[in-house]
Amino acid sequence: MNPVVGVAAFAAVSLATAVIGFYGLRISRTTGDFYVASRTVRPWWNASAIGGEYLSAASFLGVAGLILLSGTGALWFPVGYTAGYLMLLLFVAAPLRRSGAYTIPDFTEARLDSRVVRRVTSVVVVMVGWLYIVPQLHGAALAIRITTGLPAWVGMVAVVAVVCVTVVAGGMRSITFVQAFQYWLKLTALAVPILFIVFVLADSGTPPVAEASVNPTGAAPAGMYQNISLLVALLFGTLGLPHVLVRFYTNPDGQSARRTTLIVLGLLSVFYLFPTAYGLVGRMFAPQLAQSGQSDALVLLLPGELVGGMAGDLLSALVVAGAFAAFLSTTSGLVVSLAGVISQDLFGGSVKGFRRAAVISALVPLGLASMTGSLALAGSVGMVFAFTASTLCPVLLLGIWWRGLTDTGAIAGMATGAVLCGGAMVLGAMLGAGGTPSWLAQPAAWTVPAAFAVMVLVSRATRTRVPRGITRLMTRLHTPERPLVTER
Amino acid sequence: MTRVRVTAPRTILPGSGALPAARSAADSRDAAEESDAGQVFVRSLIRSQLRLAVVVAAGFLLILVAFPLMLGLVPGLAESTIAGLPFDWVLLGAGIYPVIGLSAWLYIRTAARNEARYRDLVGDK
Repeated sequence: MNPVVGVAAFAAVSLATAVIGFYGLRISRTTGDFYVASRTVRPWWNASAIGGEYLSAASFLGVAGLILLSGTGALWFPVGYTAGYLMLLLFVAAPLRRSGAYTIPDFTEARLDSRVVRRVTSVVVVMVGWLYIVPQLHGAALAIRITTGLPAWVGMVAVVAVVCVTVVAGGMRSITFVQAFQYWLKLTALAVPILFIVFVLADSGTPPVAEASVNPTGAAPAGMYQNISLLVALLFGTLGLPHVLVRFYTNPDGQSARRTTLIVLGLLSVFYLFPTAYGLVGRMFAPQLAQSGQSDALVLLLPGELVGGMAGDLLSALVVAGAFAAFLSTTSGLVVSLAGVISQDLFGGSVKGFRRAAVISALVPLGLASMTGSLALAGSVGMVFAFTASTLCPVLLLGIWWRGLTDTGAIAGMATGAVLCGGAMVLGAMLGAGGTPSWLAQPAAWTVPAAFAVMVLVSRATRTRVPRGITRLMTRLHTPERPLVTER
Repeated sequence: MTRVRVTAPRTILPGSGALPAARSAADSRDAAEESDAGQVFVRSLIRSQLRLAVVVAAGFLLILVAFPLMLGLVPGLAESTIAGLPFDWVLLGAGIYPVIGLSAWLYIRTAARNEARYRDLVGDK
């Protein structure tokens, strides 16, 4: 691919991000603006921003790559990524908004009346965020290497630098505009090239190289257990993702939090049709990309492979721009929510502390990413979902719906989930992709029930520790906001 | 079914001496929610919202499981094509999303209705 194309696309996306970020800066001045955009963001803006933030390297590159490798079995990834939002809507969206907290640690502290729970939750949130940023940086490294031929670290450093500048300058309000713009950019960047490719293919009458059902690498398809475990991780992992949850605080009330989620579901459903189409077209017309181990770069390479020439270069530039929008938006969303947590616990919640925390939250995963090798993007993000599903999901679900949860139970449950799932991740990494049995490679099916069970049993054993204000708190979480009272 | 004693909600706090009409709607709702009768309404709202969420989630998961089962059990279905595209790809790659959207829409409508009923009970206008 022409290296100028990649560099130009990345520069254009970074510039647009910075310009929109600085435009947002002029209207964000207070601490509230920095954290949650003062809760005045319209549902369509907010939904686009949630979509923009959620659609990461795994969705933009990884899903198509995995479909190219394993066919219909990989279709559970986009379905799970979307259906996770359904679970979020059903069990979490409105009560969490009504809790009035800024971050997940705020919520657990208020619900369980305990500073220790707050600290433990903060640690888990920061771990989840860092684990999730690492694959974004691997994606950036891959994209830079494939499109420009520059060394991989350039991509990682560039993404971290742009994210730091926008977050430090603008906070959440400007990030909302940036994210919303990036959703539509990502959708366009996938939709236009694939439609063009389909027209070109239909016009030239190129016959498919391989049957869509043929497996280009000969790897064994995922079994029943792995599919179920993956779905558990994706369905229950989404509702614990810190950068997704913080977005719900920007809705004015519980019912609008629900409406926003409905719009998000629509936006995600439309988006995921396109990676699926790339995967299918890739299997039919370019299976050689899978054999050469470049499956995660399928979306980036397909326009050049199948269209070529000037048109191919332009379409490639568009796809590269979309890919960088994906890395930038997810990373900055995570950095904002991590900075919110770190600055409230370490720097007293000031604007200056938020900026310092933002830089810390971006630099640590940069170190992690440069030390570790890149796995399949969709797979490594899937592991992060398994981790949140085994730690933050039980404490949120039980905290919202069960009066009997205690601080001891919450800590024991989160620790169990973190140790089991984290242990499975470390063991899996040590054994390598070939030697890992499927129950270790996809641990969610047993780590999530274990975390729930420990949380419930320990809470039962320590039932005297149920906070005294629980009645008032549950009332606040579940009853509709009162209409504004004007007359006396 | 548990038996509950139904009493008129006591909206006047002890010692306050103010008449209900003179108090703001917010104050009266505070009092109503903290009384025993008010908590009966709150608990029943929480129960119906949880039941609704579980029913919608279970229904969606059933459909989700039914899709691959259908492909596996009906012979020839997975190999058939729709407009040149393999049927299993269309079903799993595009067919599930409308089900997700429909479940979400049904949930939001019913959840809002549960809350409206609660508002009527505690006397918010």
